[in-house]
Amino acid sequence: MEFQAFLRIALSREPFPTVSELLERWRGGDQQALETLVPLVYNELRTLAHRHLQRERPGHTLQTTALVHEAYVRLAGGRPFEAENRTHFVAVAARLMRQILVDYARSRRAAKRGADRLVELSDIENEPVDKSCEPLAQEIHNPDLTQLDDALKDLAKIDDQQSRLVELRFFGGLTVEEAAEVLGISRSTAKRDWNVAKAWLSRELKRGTHGEA
Amino acid sequence: MEKHENWPKIKAIVADALERVPEERETFVSEACGQDRSLRVEVKSLLSAYESSVGLSESKLTTQLVDAAQISRSIGPYSLIRKLGEGGMGQVWLAEQTAPVKRRVALKLIKGGMYDSTALVRFQNERQSLALMDHPAIAKVFDAGATPDGQPYFAMEYVAGVPITDYCDEKKLKIVERIELLIQVCEGVQHAHQKTIIHRDLKPANILVVEIDGKPLPRIIDFGLAKAVVPEFMGAAQFTVIGSFLGTPGYVSPEQADPGIQDVDTRTDVYSLGAVLYVLLTGSLPFDGERWRRRPIDEVLRQLREQDPPPPSTKAGRQDDATNTVAQARGTEPKQLVRALRGDLDWIAMRALERDRQRRYATPEEFAEDLRRYLRNEPVQARPASLLYRAHKYARRHRVAVAIASLMSIVLVSFVALQSVQLRRTTRERDRADRIAEFMTGIFKLSDPNERVGNQVTVREVLDKASQDIDKGLAKDPILQAQMMHVMGNAYLNLGLYSRAQSLYERGIQVGGSAGGRKSRDTLKTMHDLAWVLLQQGRLPEAESLERRVLEMQRREFGSDDPDTLGTLSELAFTLSQEGNSKEAVELNSEVLEKQKRILGPEAEGTLITMDNLAINLGEAGRPADAVRLEQQALEIHFRIDGLDNLGTVSAMTNLARSFRDLGQYEESEKKLSDALEIEARIFGPEQPETAETKYDLASLLARKGQIEEALSLLDQAVDHGLPPLLAARMGTDPFLASLHGNPRFAKLIARAKKQITDAAAR
Repeated sequence: MEFQAFLRIALSREPFPTVSELLERWRGGDQQALETLVPLVYNELRTLAHRHLQRERPGHTLQTTALVHEAYVRLAGGRPFEAENRTHFVAVAARLMRQILVDYARSRRAAKRGADRLVELSDIENEPVDKSCEPLAQEIHNPDLTQLDDALKDLAKIDDQQSRLVELRFFGGLTVEEAAEVLGISRSTAKRDWNVAKAWLSRELKRGTHGEA
Repeated sequence: MEKHENWPKIKAIVADALERVPEERETFVSEACGQDRSLRVEVKSLLSAYESSVGLSESKLTTQLVDAAQISRSIGPYSLIRKLGEGGMGQVWLAEQTAPVKRRVALKLIKGGMYDSTALVRFQNERQSLALMDHPAIAKVFDAGATPDGQPYFAMEYVAGVPITDYCDEKKLKIVERIELLIQVCEGVQHAHQKTIIHRDLKPANILVVEIDGKPLPRIIDFGLAKAVVPEFMGAAQFTVIGSFLGTPGYVSPEQADPGIQDVDTRTDVYSLGAVLYVLLTGSLPFDGERWRRRPIDEVLRQLREQDPPPPSTKAGRQDDATNTVAQARGTEPKQLVRALRGDLDWIAMRALERDRQRRYATPEEFAEDLRRYLRNEPVQARPASLLYRAHKYARRHRVAVAIASLMSIVLVSFVALQSVQLRRTTRERDRADRIAEFMTGIFKLSDPNERVGNQVTVREVLDKASQDIDKGLAKDPILQAQMMHVMGNAYLNLGLYSRAQSLYERGIQVGGSAGGRKSRDTLKTMHDLAWVLLQQGRLPEAESLERRVLEMQRREFGSDDPDTLGTLSELAFTLSQEGNSKEAVELNSEVLEKQKRILGPEAEGTLITMDNLAINLGEAGRPADAVRLEQQALEIHFRIDGLDNLGTVSAMTNLARSFRDLGQYEESEKKLSDALEIEARIFGPEQPETAETKYDLASLLARKGQIEEALSLLDQAVDHGLPPLLAARMGTDPFLASLHGNPRFAKLIARAKKQITDAAAR
């Protein structure tokens, strides 16, 4: 299906669209553009993520935001891109990133069964003193993410919006404002949702009822 | 798992509760949940999960970034006490050092991705200089090390202060008091610069204020860190993602934010200090950092490079909700604040925030000194001569057009600059200055995207428009009009558009002649240039006769020693030598040289140029020995004043070599030419056309001696790098190259050189 969409565009006489163009079409309601976009983004992200994960030494953090951004820069071929496009790109990438990292974590876990690892989230969000700077950076520490993934799936059943918000922020590195824009909700709602989601997730993760642990 | 149907309610209460301070939550939850026990249990379990998950920091689901910190609570000789903060770079902990001294330190733990394996080494290199820093405004850096798994940390003096901006607002410091504080900061940064340390990340969060005996004292933290800590993979991506160590958006200088620029110097700190001043004055950043953060890197960079921020007074004058708060925090009213900022403080801030670091204050000390001048009510350096500034400003707003039309703008701006000095005295003259500015504005309008048709504006188009406009545009002020015609004629001349230059000069002479007199300095200068353009067109007799006329009038009006008169005399000498009358050229240039030695000084640049010219004339006049003698003098002076790697020196050298050759002293000539070639290769690069002529000359000497191979290889290079057409055409008949005749390689070379000439002609 995805491949067919890809072929259709490849076979048409138009020049192959850039990532920016695809994003634009998608924003304009063209679902096919998304279908073309996803494998491109997925492959790029996967390559990058694996490269970084292999290089990371234990105890280091993986920066999803950096990967997503790097993927975009590479896919956009160095072209300047609009802020709006970036946000939408990240929305796509966040979902894919989650998939990639969780797959990776599962495969690692299979190899290291028994290692008692905790999922650790950290969002450097306590705003630094001058609020203008220090973009929100998010890290995944010890990327055993299966618990988080499961918890997020459960959260999605209760509150899909919150689950997506966490995904956007955690895997995509979006700020609360950017995530609000993607979800089409107000900033204050996003902020409230984020707080509640954190509370819920931290409780669920502590209970250890998710995943195999 | 909770009951789904209750979720909206749970969610609302939890969210509301989390918006309150922790102490109030309990009461709030009790009230909100009322009698619903299961609701209350659910809400409380979520809230307690939220609160307990955050560990040491008060209210986040944050767990520690740093294994070491979590496990042992001590790193090296430091035991961690509490976390002070967290930012793009990592965490800062208050820690206690136990050995060798017992003291409290701020321990900075650098997080992954922000360093690589060389970070520590770089920092160790930096330590020596860091140790030399000793200034009350700089917090000391004690030590650096790494955790067992390689994560670097830095120990520095713990400063229990608040960021300078917060301090000033809390204490409602007045503008003057804020400036006094910033001056102290500048002094600290200056001290560091003298010890060759650049901060690279100056911002309020790194400038803390402590009170000592009730007096505020700024302390700059994190000196030397930026250099040690570099993101693992540098590049544009890192800027938006990490956004901290290529600098902090809003405070980072354009050059530091540009991944293409490697040589960031101390002036980057001046820019950041400028941004801090801006925030202290207006309460907001020069550019909106919040909005920036969400924009793509290219756009941020472009804005930094191409846009000036609004002056502080404009920023402060914007009517919005914040205006009152900002003014109140400065102990004043919005209107008064704008008035206080307008003028000098605007100038000072904008000078520090110049995009082009060349135009910034060169040092923090200069910046501080201008602030002190402001406090003392003295004129500030940042305020430029008004007209020049406007012309400048205008040119800068239209950077693209000016880049294309740089020649034009250089000519015009220098003209205007010259004029403005003379024009500022009276009101009438100020009107004239305004007219120039207005006219120039009109010219540059062409490069405004709204006004132009195609994509590219050429110098030519700008000039053509200007020369059309000038008849009507400045008709009220014929003297000025004539001056502008002259200037534009020069611009055409520099473009090689001789007939257009000529007609503008002619009109300038006409207009200026009837308004200011035929013998005015300006009119005569224009006539001088008209002669030059005739000369360029090969109309030698006309040029000569005009030059003689001008010369006579200049002698009569200003005397024989006047620089204008000497200039015309020198030009006449050149014309004569072109006509083959080298004997008279020698006489005239000798006269010029004598006078220049007296008036300008024996070693002035103008004098040296005439020495070179006269030496050439002497050679042409068949007096190579005199030529050699003069050129040797010139070379000696050039060398003494400008050193070896200098254009003047090298050109004196090649001239001397040619005189030696004319004299038959081939060995001397060859020596000078090889020396010259070496210098040229150094200053121009080995493959530049500038070296071709020297290579040709050297080849001709080698060919004469029978060193065929060397000669051919040099000629080969000379042709490749662009031999001047005159030499290229002469190659086949040059007697010095006679030994090469019949050599097939030489025949091919000649063919190639000739082809280059015809190709060039066809272009």
